[in-house]
Amino acid sequence: MNVKILGITLLLVALWLFLAVQVPEGFLNGNNMFNLFLRTAMYGVLGIGVAFVIITAGIDLSIGSIVCLSGVLLSLFLSVSYHPSDREQVFAIDPQQQVIVLAEETDRFEEGDLLRYYGSTQARSAVVTLSSVESTNIPGQAGDGTSSASLLKVEGLDGNTSTARDGVVAKLYPIKGVDSAKGTVLIAGKHEGLAARDQIRFINPSGGMEQIVVAGTESIDGNTRVSVDGDTGALGEGWLAMPLLRDQTMPVPVALLSVLGIALLLGVVHGLLVTKIHLQPFVVTLCGLLLYRGISRWLVNDRDTGYGNEYESSLSLLTNGKFELFTLGEPYGTYSVPYAFFIFILVAILAAVFLNKTIYGRYMLALGRNVEAARFSGIDTDRMTIIGYVICTVMGALGGLFFLNYSDSIAPSSHGNFFELYAIAAAVLGGCSLRGGEGSILGVVIGTALMVTLKMFINLMKISDTLEFAIIGVVILVGVVADELLKKAVARRQASKS
Amino acid sequence: MSIGPISRPRRPVDALARFRCKNPILAKKAIREGQPFSNARASANHSQAYVHWGGVNLSLDKGQVLSLIGENGAGKSTLMKILAGVQPPDEGEILLDGKKVEIESTRAALNLGISLIHQELNLATNLSVGANVFLGREPLRGGLIDKSTIRKESARFLEMVGLDVSPDTLVGDLTIGRQQMVEIAKALSVNARVLIMDEPTSSLSQAEAENLFVVIKDLRARGVSVIYISHRLGEVKELSDHVTVMRDGENAGELSREEVTHEAMVRLMVGRDLSEYYERKDREKGDLALEVKKLRTPVHPQHELTFSVASGEIIGVAGLVGAGRTEMLETLFGVTPALGGSIQVSGADLELDSPISAIAAGIALAPEDRKQQGLVIDMTVRENLSLAALRRDQKKAGFLDFAKEKKISEKMIEAMRVKTPNENQIIRYLSGGNQQKVVLGKWLAMKPKILLLDEPTRGIDVGAKSEIYALMEELAESGVAILYVSSEMEEILGMADRALVMHEGRISGELTREELTEENIMHLATGGEKTAA
Repeated sequence: MNVKILGITLLLVALWLFLAVQVPEGFLNGNNMFNLFLRTAMYGVLGIGVAFVIITAGIDLSIGSIVCLSGVLLSLFLSVSYHPSDREQVFAIDPQQQVIVLAEETDRFEEGDLLRYYGSTQARSAVVTLSSVESTNIPGQAGDGTSSASLLKVEGLDGNTSTARDGVVAKLYPIKGVDSAKGTVLIAGKHEGLAARDQIRFINPSGGMEQIVVAGTESIDGNTRVSVDGDTGALGEGWLAMPLLRDQTMPVPVALLSVLGIALLLGVVHGLLVTKIHLQPFVVTLCGLLLYRGISRWLVNDRDTGYGNEYESSLSLLTNGKFELFTLGEPYGTYSVPYAFFIFILVAILAAVFLNKTIYGRYMLALGRNVEAARFSGIDTDRMTIIGYVICTVMGALGGLFFLNYSDSIAPSSHGNFFELYAIAAAVLGGCSLRGGEGSILGVVIGTALMVTLKMFINLMKISDTLEFAIIGVVILVGVVADELLKKAVARRQASKS
Repeated sequence: MSIGPISRPRRPVDALARFRCKNPILAKKAIREGQPFSNARASANHSQAYVHWGGVNLSLDKGQVLSLIGENGAGKSTLMKILAGVQPPDEGEILLDGKKVEIESTRAALNLGISLIHQELNLATNLSVGANVFLGREPLRGGLIDKSTIRKESARFLEMVGLDVSPDTLVGDLTIGRQQMVEIAKALSVNARVLIMDEPTSSLSQAEAENLFVVIKDLRARGVSVIYISHRLGEVKELSDHVTVMRDGENAGELSREEVTHEAMVRLMVGRDLSEYYERKDREKGDLALEVKKLRTPVHPQHELTFSVASGEIIGVAGLVGAGRTEMLETLFGVTPALGGSIQVSGADLELDSPISAIAAGIALAPEDRKQQGLVIDMTVRENLSLAALRRDQKKAGFLDFAKEKKISEKMIEAMRVKTPNENQIIRYLSGGNQQKVVLGKWLAMKPKILLLDEPTRGIDVGAKSEIYALMEELAESGVAILYVSSEMEEILGMADRALVMHEGRISGELTREELTEENIMHLATGGEKTAA
């Protein structure tokens, strides 16, 4: 461990001791410790990523935007919608004549079926009984000629007074029995498409609605017994079931690989622009910062985005899942480590091994110090530099995954703002020199913990958080000044020793 | 300005550097000879690891050229930096016109009329000649830079150094030799009484150097004292009124103008005779190692280079600076792409798109710019020695083989006689000669078939030089083909089995060992044609 890392470690420990003595209940309680681990992990992966770019004497300002973009992409790729298994688009309704005209011809519905009409901007939802299905013609889409469609004669549209030209009809199935103790509901009809994680909307024709998640299905004599995750107490005879199929845009592994792949590609582009076109890293990644932020906002129309609690038992465990250590009495509570922290430690170990134990790490350190000498030694300096940028953007995407799960929803205009500066600050505090060729992964980990602790310090000591940036700025400044003075002293000692 | 040894009766001096003596032997000598403590102890704060300062004592008369010679690491440059206020001495005093002066900064030195011209040129190449001459002390008129004064005044100094360019010319558009003259003009423009030149000819061609000597002699006639530091003994002999030889931070000896001979200087520097300097032996040539046909480099695309080197052969490449020698080596090493022609190694055609393919073919290059291209000077000796061999010596999946790395670096340190406390020393703290040995060691670890050396002894002291020559001999003996570029006539004459002479991008002639004479080389290097032997 070199002197610099020792220095910030001491500072970190001193800060912890200070907080432990000054605000023991606030700082030492289980929740706060969990947060300390979690935030260190989330910011730490960004710090490790940028450390590699800094070691190659570059810089990456786009990290915050990469965090945002990968968050937005993930929320799009993993977005979930539910729609009825049997539904048709409505062309128009006419309450007077008790008629619903569909947009297309269909044989989906039969006489006597119960249908739900809903989703109109003008007419009210209603449960109707189908009396007959006829063929009809409606004006064609291009405005010339006609196209064939189905005309449904129904009963029960009475509630509506106005005609409408939109909405949906979906088939409803009567409930044949409810077993509240076992949590099962017997529904008329076969529902082979229905599976766990789909949902059923239960509708009481005389008012009331329940939406419950499916756990499993079992086919019995043309009916289906559905076990559900939820309270069935309110359901009873006369209720109708509308099965809703879960539609996830992509499987989780595909979504994760796509986002990491996109990040990798962006890293390659950064690296190519820096090495082959000889653009300055600052400029390249500044453009990245602006570009990815803009794309993120455009992709979701600047609306908040996220996948809510859809992945509570999978992806969201990354940041919410915890490994419990032990429990103390109040007010300290349970101490636990978030899973994200284990991933972070794994990433840190891999990064440290890569940097210190492989020839590629050595190449990066060498070319960061002197790219020309590295090239003259037969090192493919362009490729190693590109790898540095790729590591950084991929780490940014991993951070994006963490931060998306940490926040229920993210605002594309502000999510990840300034994260690149936190990451760079942590790397610099941890011993990376922006001149290149110098850096330690352990240092970055400790530097990140120090940054996170500083933010806690400001919060716990009730210092106005408007001072947050100022305090972090001062600490970094003091850190690098001390480092520079120390380096001079060491050089002097080295010279006088000889 | 002159530097008087303790034993000499003191002459009237313009400047005297006199330091309190820490070295008991020299002190006794001083006392015995009835001198005040006049031996120096100036300690180098940030200098190389192997500078052991004993004491130095210099004195310099008005209008004299004092040459300061010694091996690298002897402390010449450090001493000069002390005089120029770049770094303070630990102890000792400096007298100017008999008065003690404190030189705390470069500005203080300039105010005293002491001007240092660094080994590396310190010019802003994007500014004009005039702007460079007055950089940092621009004459003002009404708060703005007074360009007409700059133009007028700098023209005066340019004339003094015999440089016929307009003050408005961009420095970057001048040749290195002319830039050197701008440096001198700049140094003179502070009304320098003492001009310190640290290896001014190291990047100059012969003709440019000759021109510099004329200027120095002219300055001497005008009463300017010059301290001239150089490794090139020929020019020291030509210029000096007096020579001080340094070794390990102490005076190793003094030579007056009459006593200055090549042999005497080398003897004082290294303590042995010149006959040991080059140990060229006749060797049997082996098979053709490198065959270059109609090679065109990007810098001189109009010329085609054709030559060959056999294994076990040492071929010198002579020529003036700018003749395209470095460019040729860089093309052979894959640093800059060839525009045409073919390169064959051991009879097989070679496509060179990067140093990686050159190294794979068994070619190695020790570049001219050691610190920028040869070494990563902030890494350790071990890391530098292993840098090229890492790929070959890796364990599975790119993991470093630390044991092998350590073993090879220790072996190379020993084989190359690198003076370093251990393999983990940072290269920066080694002397130039030891740094060059590390560069060579790095390549020898790769067991190259063809070794390209670009100015292998530039800025290296005499002792290390002869070690490097001996090494070249040894390598050639073991069958390595060596192609070396040198601007030192002696080095070409002393080492080469055969020499290529280049002029403005083309090979103007090839000289066999028998044809190798200073006249023949100069004739070809300056554009003459080879006459039938």
